[in-house]
Amino acid sequence: MTEPLGNFWTAVVNGEEKQLHIAQTNRLVDVLRSHLNLTGTKVSCEVGRCGACMILMDGEPVNSCLVMAYQCVGSEITTIEGLYGEEEGKLHPIQQAFVEEGGFQCGYCTPGMVISTKALLDRYPQPSQEQIEMGLCGNLCRCTGYGGILRAVRTAGETCLSSSILTTEEKKVIDL
Amino acid sequence: MLLNRDNSGKRWHLRPDGVGKVTGQLQYLTDMTLPDMIHGRVLRSSYPYARILSIDITEAEAIEGVFAVLTSKDVPGLNLFGIATPDQPVFCEHVVRYVGDAIAAVAADSPERAALALDAIRVEYEEWTPLDSPEAALAPGAPELHEHGPGNVLHRTEIKRGNVDEGFAACEHIVSETYYTPRQMHAYMETEGGLFVPDESGRLHVYAATQHGYKDRMQLARIIGCSEEDIRVVSSPIGGSFGGKDELNVQPYGALLALRSGHPVKMHNSRKESVRAGLKRHPMKIEMQTGISREGMIQAHRVRITADTGAYATLGAPVLNFCTEHCLGPYSIPNVDVEGVSVYTNNGVSGEFRGFGGNQAIFAMEGQMDRLAEIMDIDPWEFRRRNMREKTDPGPLNQRILVTDGLSQVWEALDRSELWQKHQYPSADLALPPWIKRGVGAAIAMHGAGLGYGIPDPAGGRLSLNAEGKIEVAFSYEEFGQGLIATLEMMLCDLFYCSTSDLSIIIGDTDRVPHSGSSTASRSTTMAWMALQRLQTPFRSKILSVASALSGIPAAELITGIEGVWHKGQLSPEVTANEPAMNSRVVVSYVDLAKHGKEEEWIFDTQFEYPTTPDNVVGGHYLYTYAAVAAEVEVNTLTGEAKLLDTRHVVAAGPVINPMGFIGQIEGGSVMALGFTLTEDAVMQDSRYMTTNLDTYLIPTIRDIHTNLEVEAIEDLPEGDPFGPRGIGEIGSVALAPAITAAIHQATGVWVNRLPVPRDQLIKPIGVLLQEGVSSS
Repeated sequence: MTEPLGNFWTAVVNGEEKQLHIAQTNRLVDVLRSHLNLTGTKVSCEVGRCGACMILMDGEPVNSCLVMAYQCVGSEITTIEGLYGEEEGKLHPIQQAFVEEGGFQCGYCTPGMVISTKALLDRYPQPSQEQIEMGLCGNLCRCTGYGGILRAVRTAGETCLSSSILTTEEKKVIDL
Repeated sequence: MLLNRDNSGKRWHLRPDGVGKVTGQLQYLTDMTLPDMIHGRVLRSSYPYARILSIDITEAEAIEGVFAVLTSKDVPGLNLFGIATPDQPVFCEHVVRYVGDAIAAVAADSPERAALALDAIRVEYEEWTPLDSPEAALAPGAPELHEHGPGNVLHRTEIKRGNVDEGFAACEHIVSETYYTPRQMHAYMETEGGLFVPDESGRLHVYAATQHGYKDRMQLARIIGCSEEDIRVVSSPIGGSFGGKDELNVQPYGALLALRSGHPVKMHNSRKESVRAGLKRHPMKIEMQTGISREGMIQAHRVRITADTGAYATLGAPVLNFCTEHCLGPYSIPNVDVEGVSVYTNNGVSGEFRGFGGNQAIFAMEGQMDRLAEIMDIDPWEFRRRNMREKTDPGPLNQRILVTDGLSQVWEALDRSELWQKHQYPSADLALPPWIKRGVGAAIAMHGAGLGYGIPDPAGGRLSLNAEGKIEVAFSYEEFGQGLIATLEMMLCDLFYCSTSDLSIIIGDTDRVPHSGSSTASRSTTMAWMALQRLQTPFRSKILSVASALSGIPAAELITGIEGVWHKGQLSPEVTANEPAMNSRVVVSYVDLAKHGKEEEWIFDTQFEYPTTPDNVVGGHYLYTYAAVAAEVEVNTLTGEAKLLDTRHVVAAGPVINPMGFIGQIEGGSVMALGFTLTEDAVMQDSRYMTTNLDTYLIPTIRDIHTNLEVEAIEDLPEGDPFGPRGIGEIGSVALAPAITAAIHQATGVWVNRLPVPRDQLIKPIGVLLQEGVSSS
């Protein structure tokens, strides 16, 4: 891990190394939204309850409102902007499933919901109902009643499984 | 029809705003930034009720990087706002009436410096004892919160017909119950905020969510003291509203700070501030006495409604009107005595919220129906049927309403449903441990759409062929998640056989749309449909006549289609679906058509009013949507937890234009009602919020929802019905609570009269459970 040096912050965000001169007590959600203009990560409850600001930090889903800049120095961070399909201009299968199944309405929770789904399917490519509920219970949605989201996650699970989006390591999990 | 993706076929229409939302690329108004923008914050009251002795802003103004500090002295126009009754101060001058009251606002070059400046404002108060309930506010000698009086009453309602005392005297059974409903929070995921940009010409551009851009513009002009044309309001996309953003919230502060500082000002409420200052659903106490004859026919119904409207009026009066209308349910009752009162208190401001007072009323009325059916020892659904209004009967306020079969249709559909049939055989599952109890309940509702008689409810719209050759519609409606844009696309494609790429849909921008009313009261779909019905003929005639002139083909042989005008016969639905790029068959393209004649000749406008009853009954509705809901609930009598297992919503709202949107609205409304029933309450103590964020105010998560939720749509409307699809934005949320509490009663024998359902009422002593367990085995 890179040593923090004063107000110098560095991390790999969506595959690109970013360097900023910011206070280390900045929240990651503000670093992303205000300093890197990655407004796909939303801000809503700011106490880690709603999941609107969910991102992947070294592959793990975390609420970026609860992470301080100094805590993620040198980390690999994936935001909603870092998710895309196999071909240019195509959606990631999870995003595609959310569109097709009506897994959103106002859409404000959606980036966080998609990120949590990515983390869920990375871990459990064929999640059970219980695993879906556990994986997404940190994300609140006030519009859909979760019906469309559940259908989207199931569809995404099927699509991801049959596509080559999964890495070798992920496929190993399925074999197990 | 059971609504799902498979049954929807080609009408499963992907939303045009979908890609932007799932990729995070869509910019909400609170995501907008400008290079030279500064940050606004509002100082809110330290007390729920107090006199302001002094406000000192000198220290705040002296902080480096602070661009403006404003108080009531800096409001050039009217220092009040309110969508119906402007009685809420932009900045309090002498008195504060609730913890969300604004005293000052600051703008600074960083959020941190803005916070510092807020801390540096010195306010001296003389604290008073708050009126923390309607009872306290109505007590003799209570101070008057507003000068206009009398007392602390915002509004009273009354329905009297027949003779209730005589009616009760003749009754065989009377049920008396008092129902209590919670202070529900909208809990939209995007909190209030936006960007306020003054331009070089002196105009102010407001990018902030609202359900009615023109109404915001009017109110802001009044506050600023400028003409409405000096303001442009851009108000979509919105990260959820549910009625909670219909009233001004951050707009007055953002606007005044931007004008004072000359900089773009960004405002974005924290969740805590949103809870503190924002609107809630009216908590209500509803006392009901309902009497029936020996044959089980309702003879008399007495209702007393007390609504806690909080510190300011907003839509408290219309909400009480709606509640009053809906507390009679869809039943024929000869003797009625209803009185409602909406009371000012020092609690949080209550206002508009999905269901608009119907939720509270229907919970109470349907609760009475279940209790009466039990006394009669007859099936609760059959009891409802006997008492249901006939389709030609007048509406709840004795007003004429549009005749449809909706009510009996939803009744019958639910009666047939497998879920409701389970009601006959409760708790047959012996595999369950003795402390797990199951029950099934149901409820029915008729829900008015539109603002009602006597309230201006303008509608309209614009249809044009724009310079780029797109068929363009413009409405002053908003997209707050409900799927309006997708629905408009589908309506236009249905009308003109065109494709979505031929369309341009404009909403949410006062500079670009005509004044066509608000997105409230389940009215946008109906209004847009009615507007397009009026506009389609002149618009199509113009297109076909110009195309005819250009091509030499008689207009009668031409038809609008994909990319332009086609020769009839060459355009069939199959062609449009399978050969979208057949522009070689296009007689004249829309792009070519748009080049002919003056631009304004291609623009068609319409203005009309939402349909209302012809009878002089203020607030009375003409169009209703009907719904029936069944719910299966499992209660753990060790913990008092109630879990909703299975739900069926039957909705009669006319043709389903957009199945994905329809399902989403009913599912979303249902889960919002689940929260209303089981967990949600913005608890206030001494007029201060105890539940200040989403960690203590509990909305349903994906773990809390019904395992199964089915939506059945009844699409019939009378032949030649001129009003088209009815709104469904609210109907999914209004009848679930009584269905759940009826199910809880069947499961446990407990009649719940208070929401959210108090768990302690459902816990049974372990000894009783063990005995039951022994005897049942």
